Amino acid sequence: MDTRRVVILGLFVAIAGVLHAVESWLPLPIPIPGAKLGLANIVSLLVISIYGWRDALLVAVLRVLLGSLLSGALLGPAFAMSMCGALISATGMAYAFYHWRPMFSLVGISIIGAALHNLAQIAVAAFLVASPGLFWYLPYLLLFALPTGLATGLTTSFFLAKLPRNREVEKFR
Amino acid sequence: MLLTRADKILIGILVIASSGGIGLNMAALSAAGQQEAHVYKEGKLIQTIPLRPGYHQELRLGGAERYNLIMADNGRIRVAEADCPDQICVRTGWIGVAPQQIVCLPYRVVIKLESSIAPDIDDITK
Repeated sequence: MDTRRVVILGLFVAIAGVLHAVESWLPLPIPIPGAKLGLANIVSLLVISIYGWRDALLVAVLRVLLGSLLSGALLGPAFAMSMCGALISATGMAYAFYHWRPMFSLVGISIIGAALHNLAQIAVAAFLVASPGLFWYLPYLLLFALPTGLATGLTTSFFLAKLPRNREVEKFR
Repeated sequence: MLLTRADKILIGILVIASSGGIGLNMAALSAAGQQEAHVYKEGKLIQTIPLRPGYHQELRLGGAERYNLIMADNGRIRVAEADCPDQICVRTGWIGVAPQQIVCLPYRVVIKLESSIAPDIDDITK
């Protein structure tokens, strides 16, 4: 891992950590446990497209740690939900990115990530409160994943389009 | 065009699956018969509160901090007050029809409504 890569990944962790923390301060219009904007998924998808899945998983783990530390949720129930959600959605998006890409655009991959994120979160939440009844919220969460996944996917596409071209990025285009 | 055909199919499937699920949820709401609220904390049943007209009860879970103040009144129940960070339980508001529920994830509290009249099936094995 060269220095340039360390610095850029560090910046991505910082951006994602702040997005993660800020998003937990924003009130959502719907009182559904596990509903989230998923702003940090923008960074996961960016790192997958620029550096690949290994770095994306690393950034996802570090940003959940950092974001939870900033928002004071470290090691609480919200932390377990975020960690599982982030890992599963990053894994799923990476798989989709490598295997289904010409078929799905970045927006579609982002929607897959958002849906997986919510699915993982509600599964962890149901386990934490020992109540499978939480899956009652699943259809609402899947519906909620559409606009948020669309927004994060579009943001990622526009970001990549504006990104200055260089050798490293070029490899993954 | 940014969206591929697979994207649109995925969006369509998600819309259909989730609105179908929401429809099923709505259809499952049954005001028939007596309702009761089962209050769980950390997976354990703490108390069963009957919900009937004219009945009022308050229940406080937790200590001076990390509390949920639950209020049942006139066939409905809500979390009136809590000091949890996300306030989702409070903002859920009143519920009164099974199988609605109130969840407070930070304190692992679930209030589940159940119809105390047996439904129109013989038994459910789990």
